[in-house]
Amino acid sequence: MLRLGIDVGGTNTDAVLIDGDRVLGAVKASTTADVTGGIVTALGDLRQATGFDPAAVQAVMIGTTHFINALVEGERLAQTAAIRFGLPATRALPPLVDWPDRLVTAIGGHSHLCHGGHEYDGTPIAAFDEAEFRAVLDRAVAAGATSFALSSVFSPVNAEFETRAAEIIAEQLPGAPVSLSHEIGRMGLLGRENATVVNAALRGLADQVATGLLRTVAEAGINAPVFLSQNDGTLMDVDYARRYPVATFASGPTNSMRGAAFLSRLPSCAVVDIGGTTSDVGILQQGFPREASTDVNVAGVQTNFRMPDVLSIGIGGGSHVLHQASGTAVGPASVGYRLAQEALVFGGTRLTATDVAVAGGRAEVGDASLVAHLDRSVVDAALRFVDDRLAEVVDRMRASAEPVPVVAVGGGSILVPEDLAGASRVVRPDHFAVANAIGAAIAQVGGEVDRVYSVVPQQRDTVLDEARQEAVDRAVAAGARPGSVEIVDIEEVPLAYLPGNATRIRVKAVGELSLGGPRA
Amino acid sequence: MSPAPLTAARVPALAAGATLLGSGGGGEVATGALLLSGELAGAPVPLLPAAALAPDTLVVHAGLVGAPDVLAERLADPDDFADAVRTAAEVVGGSAGAVGVIEIGGLNAVVAAVAAARLGLPLVDGDLMGRAFPRIDQTVAAVAGVDPAPLVLVGPGGNTVVVRQCSRRLAERLLRANVLALGGAAALAVHPLPAARLAAIGVRGSVSACLGLGDRLLTAREAGGTPEGLADALGAELLAAGRVEELAPRQDLTPGWATLTDGRTGAVVRVDLLDEYLAVTVDGVTRAAAPQIIAAVDPSGRRPLRADQLRTGGHLILLRLPSLHAWPAEAEPLVGPTAFGLDLAPSTVPVAGPVTGSPGGRS
Repeated sequence: MLRLGIDVGGTNTDAVLIDGDRVLGAVKASTTADVTGGIVTALGDLRQATGFDPAAVQAVMIGTTHFINALVEGERLAQTAAIRFGLPATRALPPLVDWPDRLVTAIGGHSHLCHGGHEYDGTPIAAFDEAEFRAVLDRAVAAGATSFALSSVFSPVNAEFETRAAEIIAEQLPGAPVSLSHEIGRMGLLGRENATVVNAALRGLADQVATGLLRTVAEAGINAPVFLSQNDGTLMDVDYARRYPVATFASGPTNSMRGAAFLSRLPSCAVVDIGGTTSDVGILQQGFPREASTDVNVAGVQTNFRMPDVLSIGIGGGSHVLHQASGTAVGPASVGYRLAQEALVFGGTRLTATDVAVAGGRAEVGDASLVAHLDRSVVDAALRFVDDRLAEVVDRMRASAEPVPVVAVGGGSILVPEDLAGASRVVRPDHFAVANAIGAAIAQVGGEVDRVYSVVPQQRDTVLDEARQEAVDRAVAAGARPGSVEIVDIEEVPLAYLPGNATRIRVKAVGELSLGGPRA
Repeated sequence: MSPAPLTAARVPALAAGATLLGSGGGGEVATGALLLSGELAGAPVPLLPAAALAPDTLVVHAGLVGAPDVLAERLADPDDFADAVRTAAEVVGGSAGAVGVIEIGGLNAVVAAVAAARLGLPLVDGDLMGRAFPRIDQTVAAVAGVDPAPLVLVGPGGNTVVVRQCSRRLAERLLRANVLALGGAAALAVHPLPAARLAAIGVRGSVSACLGLGDRLLTAREAGGTPEGLADALGAELLAAGRVEELAPRQDLTPGWATLTDGRTGAVVRVDLLDEYLAVTVDGVTRAAAPQIIAAVDPSGRRPLRADQLRTGGHLILLRLPSLHAWPAEAEPLVGPTAFGLDLAPSTVPVAGPVTGSPGGRS
């Protein structure tokens, strides 16, 4: 199957063409502000390099940091009303309570509380008060809100309040974007609600970008379905992405790791991704990144997404090398993207990690004669510093006491030594510079359920089956081929300090991409 | 000299210290810390030793009882804690002059301060557990023969349960049954005591000790460094540092365990756990056990990990923190390993051992 993978980063737009498990071609172009310009250039270059027939492409997978960047910059965000059902509970911590002021202002600061929500066992906290909700809605609209985020206490147990309110919005304001917390986040009200508000604030931008992507792909003569990468390394079709842009947030590191695993054919390994300024180390288990156990803060907003567990240190190809009486250190200051002007090997004046890698014989980059004069002891000390720090991070991250294979990717991966302490071996796959785009191209389709069930002992199997089926249904709704979906993870955790049968069940299903199906 | 009043700027230190003193339990402090930051934005809360209060000042102990998952979803209302304290004081025919901390480990260290702030009352620099325990009868008050009643529970919407009288043993069962009816979590007020009585039986200096420990953890988090360095910074004993190799989760009331190999010494380490960490055994020798305080800290982020956050393959620095309180030997069936169904090898160190380097004094 011929797949086109595209990674739209903040700086570069990469494109790869993959047939089965062969990489047919890979190119890099500069990212443009409108997203699509860089893609047009990359597709043109890829076509020139490989001569592929656009009509033969069967799927286009796109990974992008565009939405998370928009949040970080606080720009292009919709005026968003955050409306929560929880009264008389939750009053002390209203929606947006823990947001940075800058972002509250950027989305208009519309925070509202209504009566309702549920207890953990599904009984309502208060009845749905339609008049109250309509009044809140009128106030929000009068204040300028154009996108709506609805949350409700224990909505992963019972979503009735959110869905009922969504129906009222659909009737009052046909076509207005509505984001529901039970479809977006997991247990933990504030984290789930925050993710929902972020999603709502990005809906307008998501609509524009999705439309632009479809048009760009069509104009390139490609008549294939378009998908976007999600945080967990699975895909969503482009219409789903219009409604759930927040699901793309962590796709960058995930795609990089999965791409590295694919290129090296190592489903379980440590991935060291070295750029100009930092090194990011993550762990792949059976082809998927290990997830972080703690909540993730995005642009100052606490969310409860599952993000890949990545540890970063300030060492990259452009890191300054400082040699002082007290010792030699590399980073965290860096020349960053100015490496090609400022590094010694490129005729610059700044001693960087890339220069010592060249002087130490680890890489052939630029003009090696420009670093021939360097004091050997400084070069050795700097490389030892890099090796020790990388080994320390890999050691912190690896899952077992056994040495693990280490896959080195990214432009700065020339820094990684052949012999790294704690690594069974160091693998440097071809095409490592476009690992992100490859990670996008190889993605599957997933669905997840995470909620509290009341599990009566004799009915445990029935409840688990119900949860499995819902995860499978969600995967299919997201674009998976029905027959191919498998359950990849089941977690069953009884609620702590609580007698009774309340159990939190999490099921994740993954399947092959459906092509030519009803949604394609 | 009394400690400085509690201000919003001190909330991160209080939360960090409370997480360490949770001994791996005591719930997630984040929601409580968010509430407390809001409360303290108005006015700081005076922090006073029980001995500094007028002897007949009524101190009511406040906290949250129930499931951390319910708190994370339904949140909590400072008014509910204030109502619970007021009601408990009314039942004994007085009015509260200060709020006490039931449990300095975990969420409840923070929640008591929320109650004090909402009521405009001082917070007593002390507590009744010296760490986190799962049951309401695992207190120094119980050891002194003091009953916890009246018990007052307040749920969302002001739903209130008052238990005027009950035996120590029944208290826990009454709490659980009523908390369930209130949706799995509720504000609790308990142990109304005259300040003079509390000064005699309570754990002293707990809140100051918690703040100090939190400060040292936050500083150490910025500084990085070795496990030994972290132990020194916290005044703790380093028990082991290594990677979790095997993990057997708890089964209802039966303790679970984790095994590690110490990366530095090669020693085989076992951590017994239930709601909290119960014991650490290194090469067959018990190096720490309840009621001593055991902390597991993630070496990369320097964050204390709760027992339910351990994962196979995760790295841990295991520490025994200085005890805030010396439990008498007769308290062993109440707060020692056997209270949790744990049968440690007989060759082990005494669990109600001496207090080491206590920053908070002893009672």
